[in-house]
Amino acid sequence: MSQPLILAIESSCDETAAAVVAGGARLLSNVVLSQIPVHQLYGGVVPELASREHLRGIVPVVRQALEKAGVELSQMDAIAATHGPGLVGALLVGLTYAKSISTAINKPLLCVNHLAGHIHAVLLDRRNQGLDEPGFPALALVVSGGHTTLYLVEREGERFSYRTLGKTRDDAAGEAYDKVAKLLALGYPGGPVIDQLAALGNERAVPFTRARMKGNPFDFSFSGIKTAVLRYVQVHGMAESIEARRRALGPGRPTLDRLKPLCDPQTLDLVASFQHAVVEDLVAKTLGAANEAGVQSILLTGGVAANKRLRLELTSRGAEAGIPVYAPPLSLCTDNAAMIAAAAWPLYLAGQWAGLDAAAYAQLPLDAFRSMPAPDAAPSSRHTPGE
Amino acid sequence: MTTTVDDPVSLPPALREFASHSPEETFEYGRTLASVLSDSALVLLQGDLGAGKTALVKGLAEGLGVAREEDVVSPSYTLIHEYEGNGRRLYHIDLYRLEGTTEIATLGLEDLLPGGLREAVVAVEWGGKLPLHPQQRALLITIDITGETSRILRASLL
Repeated sequence: MSQPLILAIESSCDETAAAVVAGGARLLSNVVLSQIPVHQLYGGVVPELASREHLRGIVPVVRQALEKAGVELSQMDAIAATHGPGLVGALLVGLTYAKSISTAINKPLLCVNHLAGHIHAVLLDRRNQGLDEPGFPALALVVSGGHTTLYLVEREGERFSYRTLGKTRDDAAGEAYDKVAKLLALGYPGGPVIDQLAALGNERAVPFTRARMKGNPFDFSFSGIKTAVLRYVQVHGMAESIEARRRALGPGRPTLDRLKPLCDPQTLDLVASFQHAVVEDLVAKTLGAANEAGVQSILLTGGVAANKRLRLELTSRGAEAGIPVYAPPLSLCTDNAAMIAAAAWPLYLAGQWAGLDAAAYAQLPLDAFRSMPAPDAAPSSRHTPGE
Repeated sequence: MTTTVDDPVSLPPALREFASHSPEETFEYGRTLASVLSDSALVLLQGDLGAGKTALVKGLAEGLGVAREEDVVSPSYTLIHEYEGNGRRLYHIDLYRLEGTTEIATLGLEDLLPGGLREAVVAVEWGGKLPLHPQQRALLITIDITGETSRILRASLL
């Protein structure tokens, strides 16, 4: 028997994405239409533009995902879509399209939490490569522009449950990168460029104090370091050189080659020290929580997991502590639909279909999202197996 | 008796100008502010990066009883957060990334603002960017950074 095919759609923020995954393990296609060129003009994600871009991109992206996978829509066994958290307008584009396809081909709809998707990206990558899977319970660090959260992930067969062990109390790590990059006129997004420039500076030059958290020691705070960078810029009279760089670069995404000659040693040191402080904080708390929870593995995922320094530090220090660290390749770290198909797989196995009344949610805690045993009787308004 | 910000006299002097020495004191200001706001109110927050706008909204959320301090996080990336509880509703909005009135106008914020679909307290970070209808009442809170952790908060009715 061939493996069930899931077509998944992701549209929670910047990316319109579609993917086809077989049996929750084999990646047949993973298409992402990056909207970054549009957003660069605005220094961030503009929701109305995002919705419009999703609308423009959704049909060709799904078509391309099917073509690349070499399959027909009619062969799909289920359609999955992200239903939160994210920008509601953007989410609705993908979710509504998924509902339409589900209805047209009469196959179940699966609603997936975006954050579960990031976690399952790690499993998908291992399965797709035919490698051994991470041991559970696992600690997942989901770190991106909108999220910085530590989850304890428990597994029972193909059922997963998630518990928040720590999270940011103000800014997400990726948001701090973006704000610091904007502040220093380094372009958008801030992550890759700071990661690259940091390698050229002295990370010990500016000692940033680590945020000490009252209450939960595994919570994060990145608002303070953003303010500290701003104050450093003011105190050291860097405003003029930043303005000069802003003028020289103009709009659009600057390449590293264009940026490098426009950054003086002081700027490079500041960037390196910022990255050092953020990575150190993420690594220390992740390892602390992993030790306390007694996990078998650490999963590093989300857009900021693409950061080379973070991957390197966490992997090597995890190894020292005897805890293997798994991080998916870059294409599965940043927002994509393959991870949504992967997180939909346990729902498919459990028969957790969503109805056509499924809504999109700006906020959707992962703790409540779990795959349940198949219900004895599904509500009549919902898709049921074999319908 | 409910005092509301629609009535300028009801804004206690302690809220009109306040010297904060820490994020905790800014948080407390937000909590006190919650006690004088009516169910529908627009609060515009203006202040530089790191001034304490999110800290103030954390206090506001806890004062309204809609969320715990640690559950209110920056909406810079996600733009709109909604909290509900205790019979109250809070929209926490951040216009940091948005440039120009066209982008802001297309957000559909008018549905969320007082006089829109529901009763809600609406707190808008970088609220100075929000184009206001002439009849729209709002409380403007500016936060000036006066030192490493010291801030001056000033509230005025628009």
